[in-house]
Amino acid sequence: MTREMKPSKGESFVPLIQVFEPHKASLPPMGPYLREFWRRRRFAFELARFTDKAEHLNSPLGAVWLVLNPLLLALIYFLLVTIIGGRASAGSSPFDVLAHILVALFTWYFAQNCMTFGGASVTAGGKLILNQAFPRALLPLSSLIGAFQKFIPTLPVYFIIFLVGGALDSKSKLPGLNWHLLWVPVIIGLVAISGFGLALLFATMNVYFRDTSKLMTYGARMWLYLSPVLWVPEMISGWHRIIIWINPLGPILSITHVVWIKGENPSWTLWLGASSWALALLLAGGYFFISRERDFAVRI
Amino acid sequence: MTLRYVSSPEIPEGLAVRIEELSLRYKINVESKMTLKNAIMRAGRGEKRQVRTIEAVKNLSLDIPHGTVVGVVGANGAGKSTLMRAIAGILPPTEGRIIVNGKVSTLLALGVGFNGTLSGRDNIILGGLAAGLERKELEERFDDIANFADLPNGFIDMPMRTYSAGMYGRLAFSVAVNMTPDILLIDEALSTGDAAFKEKSFEKMRELCLEARTIIIVSHALGTLKELCTKTLWMHQGKALAFGDSTEVTDKYLEFLNVGKVSAALEDF
Repeated sequence: MTREMKPSKGESFVPLIQVFEPHKASLPPMGPYLREFWRRRRFAFELARFTDKAEHLNSPLGAVWLVLNPLLLALIYFLLVTIIGGRASAGSSPFDVLAHILVALFTWYFAQNCMTFGGASVTAGGKLILNQAFPRALLPLSSLIGAFQKFIPTLPVYFIIFLVGGALDSKSKLPGLNWHLLWVPVIIGLVAISGFGLALLFATMNVYFRDTSKLMTYGARMWLYLSPVLWVPEMISGWHRIIIWINPLGPILSITHVVWIKGENPSWTLWLGASSWALALLLAGGYFFISRERDFAVRI
Repeated sequence: MTLRYVSSPEIPEGLAVRIEELSLRYKINVESKMTLKNAIMRAGRGEKRQVRTIEAVKNLSLDIPHGTVVGVVGANGAGKSTLMRAIAGILPPTEGRIIVNGKVSTLLALGVGFNGTLSGRDNIILGGLAAGLERKELEERFDDIANFADLPNGFIDMPMRTYSAGMYGRLAFSVAVNMTPDILLIDEALSTGDAAFKEKSFEKMRELCLEARTIIIVSHALGTLKELCTKTLWMHQGKALAFGDSTEVTDKYLEFLNVGKVSAALEDF
């Protein structure tokens, strides 16, 4: 009762013979893992799309909230910073302060959503994990895609505010349209890599400690205050600047400020810092997650 | 998932699954919740984490040829579901190894991965992609899946939370069998459909066998197993007590249960 088994078209990566063996807390063979991960990427995209669809079925305003929520939050922070902190009186135009808070907060929320959605991705995918064999890293990847889809609509909104507001406010020093804005896709790419690393880290932690996502709410708030979102990197000098470098999102948020608000080329040290952190987060998160993912089915 | 790609076949031709001295142990937490707060408080009290080791499968070896339908029987907690998950590559072995020759499709619990807010249509796509199918292939097979599930008019586009348990089961079964698996794993999933659907699913499974595909079914419905399976495995406390002709093994199992061939045990429930 044998037959010849050949992979059908489009299934060339499907292993015909699979061998399951004992493992310790170590990585599986990465070549096959990554091939399978890449082959099933469509699942991560569709999972993100369907999760979004399921969420919006009950919310008529739907996508509008995605933009409105960080926008209103930015206004609140702006009022806090300018009225209570009196930063506008320090010489810069109030609009420039608002523009900085807006772009930094939008970028920050992209990373924070990766952490929040990613943190819950494995524990929420319980049934799927117990019943299907697939590279589990697709679940945090789906969280990254979901966070990216929520971030993208905020960009044109910001762009309009940035251009129109900058032109209307005579005191504004915003650079307007300039070549340095070509760095924006690179910034988004680095935030996405960092965000994926964070999603992998928190997803694994949440499997072992189910209160991680609750603690993350407070942790993320603290992290936000320590990042150049409500303040600008130039406000800090001397050895205090270490606060920017030891913060995994510090360099990339500084780059965001330099490109959007100052209209300058970010220094190579900032690029080095941001790319090193992105790579470190991806490798650490990837190792932590993939070396433990075979344990998930037992712990879910 | 432990995948090792082999260039030379380590499995004799004609075998779909080879299980070599497989043991599966895992630890379960006795504590109510695994939280950081509990871990810190426990550490403060100087206590150790309370865990219990479960030996779900003990030293099991088995060869399953292509084109066989294998039934798995045993009391609750015998390790049947764990064995199925190990064959699917979801749970890694603690000792021994499993070699699987072919594409596996799983139907391990009802409504696998289905999201109740989404429609049946969306769930078919999501379930198929999770199983490793391409979007295009899924679209080609969509009509087959929907026709086989034969849901009442319009239900395919309704949220799945409005489905009855039977409808849920029909759709899950339809997705699993239409993935053209080489090896189909079914765990307790045949009991929710009505008599007509049950007959239809039996027919589909016989059809799959004729194409030399392999099916492994866990069920307590001994009548079903006798009717469908060429061979049956009886598991007890993680060990394989018998593996062979379905009628013989199920009879032995019934004898062991000390209930004799009472009709209740033979019925599908």
